[in-house]
Amino acid sequence: MISFDLQLNRPGFSLDVSGEFGNGITAVFGPSGAGKSSLLNCIAGSIRPSSGLIQIDETTLYSSGQNISLAPDKRRIGTVYQDGALFPHLNVRRNIEFGWKLIPESDRHLDPLELAEILGLSTLLDRMPSELSGGERQRVAIARALATSPKLLLLDEPLASLDAARRGSILNYLKLVHSEFEIPMVYVSHSISEVVSVASKAMLLRDGNVEGFDRPSALLLGAAAAGGDVDSFENILDGVIGDSTDHLTTIRVGDVEISTRHQNKIPGENVVISLGANQVILAATRPTGLSARNILKGSVTEIWSNQGKVFTEVDIGQKFIVELTENALNDLGVAVGNDVFLVFKSSSVDVFDA
Amino acid sequence: MNSDISIVALSLQIALVATAVTLPLGILFAWLLVRKEFRGKFILDVLVSLPLALPPVVIGYSLLWFVGTNGWFGQMSESLFGSTLAFTWIAASLAAAIVSLPLVVRSFAAALSGVDPRLEVAARGLGAGTVRTFLTVTLPLAYRGVIAGVLLGFVRALSEFGATIVVAGNIPGRTQTVPSAIFTRISAGDTDAAWRLALASVVLGVIALAVHNWLLKRTSGNGVNGSDGNNR
Repeated sequence: MISFDLQLNRPGFSLDVSGEFGNGITAVFGPSGAGKSSLLNCIAGSIRPSSGLIQIDETTLYSSGQNISLAPDKRRIGTVYQDGALFPHLNVRRNIEFGWKLIPESDRHLDPLELAEILGLSTLLDRMPSELSGGERQRVAIARALATSPKLLLLDEPLASLDAARRGSILNYLKLVHSEFEIPMVYVSHSISEVVSVASKAMLLRDGNVEGFDRPSALLLGAAAAGGDVDSFENILDGVIGDSTDHLTTIRVGDVEISTRHQNKIPGENVVISLGANQVILAATRPTGLSARNILKGSVTEIWSNQGKVFTEVDIGQKFIVELTENALNDLGVAVGNDVFLVFKSSSVDVFDA
Repeated sequence: MNSDISIVALSLQIALVATAVTLPLGILFAWLLVRKEFRGKFILDVLVSLPLALPPVVIGYSLLWFVGTNGWFGQMSESLFGSTLAFTWIAASLAAAIVSLPLVVRSFAAALSGVDPRLEVAARGLGAGTVRTFLTVTLPLAYRGVIAGVLLGFVRALSEFGATIVVAGNIPGRTQTVPSAIFTRISAGDTDAAWRLALASVVLGVIALAVHNWLLKRTSGNGVNGSDGNNR
C-alpha cells in the first residue's frame, strides 16, 4: 500500500494531493495539466515535492518533516512510460535484464525469461527496440519494470501511443500481470475509458487537486465535467472465440455469448472485444423483430446523469457501460435494480488479438 | 627530417596529455551544464567558454602567472619539487587543454543533450545510480559525439600556439611543438623546413576532422542516438 500527502509548487502550477492506493489497480486520471504525471514522478522520485510525505508499506520514500528523500534507484518502484522508454542500444533481453541485474539476488522474485514468456516476448529477445512494434515495446517496458520485483508498478499513459487493437492487448497483459504477481499498480491516463476496464479504484485530478476518489464508473461523469475523454467510452472485455458461420463468429465473454462479424480465428483463441458505450441500445422489455444480433438480458446496477448525458452500468454477468440521453432514460423509465436488455449489432463489436 | 619527427612526436604527446585532461573535465562540465540545475551554472558556462573568447596569449600569460614563481601553485610546486611547471612540456599540455576545453565541452554537451533524458530517468527507476546510469545508458548513446568531441579537442590542442609559447616557451627538444617550430623556421627564413611541418599539420588535421565528421554523421543517421524519434 502506498500513501501520500504531498505538495509541489512550480511557477504557474501547484499540486496538492493526498490519498492511499491499495493493492489493486488504481487509476489516476484527469485532463492534461491536472498533475497526473507530477504525482507519478513524485512517487517514483524523479521530482522532489516541495513538502509532504510519501510512504510505501513501512518505508518512507519522502518526508519533508524528517528530511528524507530516497533516491529513485533506491525506491523499488517500477515505471512504464508512454512510449516504453526502452534503451535503444540494448536488445530486448538486455533491456528486460537491466534492472534485474541491479537488485540483490535475494530480491529477484521474478525471472526475466519467465516474464518475457508471459508477455509474449520469447521470440523477440534478440531484437533491438527499433525493430519492435509499439505494443511490443510496451510489453518489453512492462517486463523490464517487473523484473526488478517492484513494490509498486507505475504506468504513465501506457496506451497513449498505441492504436486501438494494441490497447486491448496491453490492457489484457496488465490484468494478467496483476493477477499473476499481485503487484499493486497505479495507472495514469487522461482517458476514463481506459481506466474503467482495468482499475478497481480511480482518482480524478484536476488543476493539481484531488476531485474524486471512488470506483472508476462512479467518476465517469466527473470526468465528463472535467473535460475527460468520455465521448469515446469503450467497453473493453476479454473473450474466447467460439463457433463461426460464414458471416458471424460467436465470442464468449464470461457467461455471455456475443455475436460478432466473422473472425478468422480458431475456436478457443483468446481475444479482446471493444464495444462503444454509445453503440448499445437499452430496452425495458425483450425486443422482437430486430436485425441486431445481440440481445442480452441484464440488470441495471448504477445510473449517473449530468448535463443531459447518462451512463448506466448494466450487469449481464459482465459489467457494461451504456451511454444514453436523459430523455431516453426518462422515456424508458428504468431505475437501478430493473431488468433491461442490451441491444447491439454484431458489426459494432471490434475484436482484437489478446 | 629526424628533428621533424621528434617535433611532431612531442606535439602529439602534448596534445594527447591535454586530451586526457579535457576528456573527464569536459564530460563533467557538459553533464552539469546539460542535465543539472544549480546555482552558479551561468558562471560555469561562462568560465568554460571563456578561453574561446580570449586571445590565447592572455591564457598563456595567466597560466604562466599561475604556475610560475609568483602563483600559489608555482610556489607550492617549487617548494615540493624544486622547480615550477613553467617552460615544461606539461605547461604546454595545460595550455592546450585550457584552450581546447570550450570546444570539447560544447561537443560533449551536444552529444549528451541528444540522449533522451527520460532514458536516464528510466534507468534510475530500474535501480541504477547516477554514475551507473551515465556509464551504461548516457555514454553508450552519446559515445560517437563524445569521440568526435575528443578529436576536435585533440586537433585544437595540436594547433595551439599563442598560449603555449608564453607559458612553455619554444625550447627545441623540450617544448617546441609543430606550430612553434614553424614559427621559428619562418623567422629564420627556412621556408622549406617550415613547409614540411606545415604539411604535416595539414595531414594530421585533415585525418582528425574526417574521422570527426564521419562520427557525427553516423550519430545523426543510425537511430542509436535516441533523439530521432525512433523510439517514440
